[in-house]
Amino acid sequence: MAATFFGEVVVKAPCRAGTEEEEEEEEAGRRETPEDREVRRQLARKREVRLLRRQTKTSLEVSLLEKYPCSKFIIAIGNNAVAFLSSFVMNSGVWEEVGCAKLWNEWCRTVDTTHLSPSESFCVFYHLKSNPLVFVCQCSCYVAEDQQYQWLEKVFGSCPRRNMQVTILTCRHVTDYKTSESTGSLPSPFLKALKTQNFKDTACCSLLEQPNIIHDLPAAVLSYCQVWKIPAILYLCYTEVMTLDLITVEAFKPILSSRSLKGLAKNIPQGTEILKKLMTTNEIQSNIYT
Amino acid sequence: MASRYDRAITVFSPDGHLFQVEYAQEAVKKGSTAVGIRGTNIVVLGVEKKSVAKLQDERTVRKICALDDHVCMYFCKILTIFIGLTADARVVINRARVECQSHKLTVEDPVTVEYITRFIATLKQKYTQSNGRRPFGISALIVGFDDDGIPRLYQTDPSGTYHAWKANAIGRSAKTVREFLEKNYTEDAIANDNEAIKLAIRALLEVVQSGGKNIELAIIRRNQPLKMFSAKEIELQVTEIEKEKEEAEKKKSKKNA
Repeated sequence: MAATFFGEVVVKAPCRAGTEEEEEEEEAGRRETPEDREVRRQLARKREVRLLRRQTKTSLEVSLLEKYPCSKFIIAIGNNAVAFLSSFVMNSGVWEEVGCAKLWNEWCRTVDTTHLSPSESFCVFYHLKSNPLVFVCQCSCYVAEDQQYQWLEKVFGSCPRRNMQVTILTCRHVTDYKTSESTGSLPSPFLKALKTQNFKDTACCSLLEQPNIIHDLPAAVLSYCQVWKIPAILYLCYTEVMTLDLITVEAFKPILSSRSLKGLAKNIPQGTEILKKLMTTNEIQSNIYT
Repeated sequence: MASRYDRAITVFSPDGHLFQVEYAQEAVKKGSTAVGIRGTNIVVLGVEKKSVAKLQDERTVRKICALDDHVCMYFCKILTIFIGLTADARVVINRARVECQSHKLTVEDPVTVEYITRFIATLKQKYTQSNGRRPFGISALIVGFDDDGIPRLYQTDPSGTYHAWKANAIGRSAKTVREFLEKNYTEDAIANDNEAIKLAIRALLEVVQSGGKNIELAIIRRNQPLKMFSAKEIELQVTEIEKEKEEAEKKKSKKNA
């Protein structure tokens, strides 16, 4: 990238035609030494996604849903979606932790998932004790692109059953929402939905319009469900505040009346109280922003 | 499309956006929530106060600042709050304070609220039009009384525009607070000073998660000096508000029954 006299930044685009010299350089790069191979192997091992059983902390031999088949799978990705599930769904009924996913990447460096502080990232799976076919995943860590397929394989397996319904909840910043209106006039936070072909129920909000796209783990899960013909729906909350925020979490409330979550949230006023308590672990005043 | 036209302040996009200015407005949303209300005889400024790091001196984290303080026939002050990048706020406040004194020395009259707002807005606009500089990432609420005794509330934003408002909010979740104000700002509500104060606190409580202890509030009544509310006084107001809310809910449930 280079700055011009007027202050614009110009990105140097790669040449598609290519030259002979470039090909020779590529071949030289391909000749790996044994040390390179060893480094690559170690890196792959470090970035492996491990699914551990709760009690024994040993790895699961088969995928999670093969071991614990379910009919309803609710996945919350991101801290606001996780707070929503904690306050409104997991406050009613007894939920038992079934396992957790351990992974390492540049954004998520949690190594030990036994003693987590509230600010650390985690990915934990629960099922409802009174109805073990209802499964919940709370994922507040970032799953990198190269780890998403591993995560899917370890959770869903290589040949998942179709007779389950998957609901994914996540958030995105409203500036990612492409629209002809100005972002100032959008009623943020607001919900948008995207579903797979096999999902026949109605969504409890409008569908996501083109050219907007989904990113990261929610996109990986939804694509996986589409490929394997699993009915799945993703609820995406566009918000201005990506940190834990009361108004953003409450924007997910319409989903409580949907078929996926019906019957799971029994005490909504209590949920609001629990949510307020979660919020009182107050964030410290940032020195950069007043 | 945006990425080709958003790296320099001096470049318009084909559809007329100055993306850097719009991104500066996003920086404002990272700050706390502030609310300003213009009553009949009072102006109120309230802001969300987050907890300070353990070893940090709380006195250095003041959000509501006085821009001008002059004792003439009446005690007058112009109060302001800037939301967004702290350092930018400090620089602009200093420039505004110097301008207030300079104006007084030159024309022997204190600045009006509108004059100093226009000065701040013009300063911000200058920084959207020269290369090598970025816009100020701050919005301001400026309140005060002029010599004619009329209360004023102005708001500026990073693009350098300024407008007068009856009530407004800036910062995080400002839209939610503004919608609350639109529903609840009535001439009756602001005729009474105490009601205006309660309205400001109620508006902040919509988005401030931990109640009265995280609110900073300042008022100016006509012909009276500035008053900063103590934590106790705010707590008292919050208790009153909660009581009124409970009574309103009881009445509602009786009606439904």
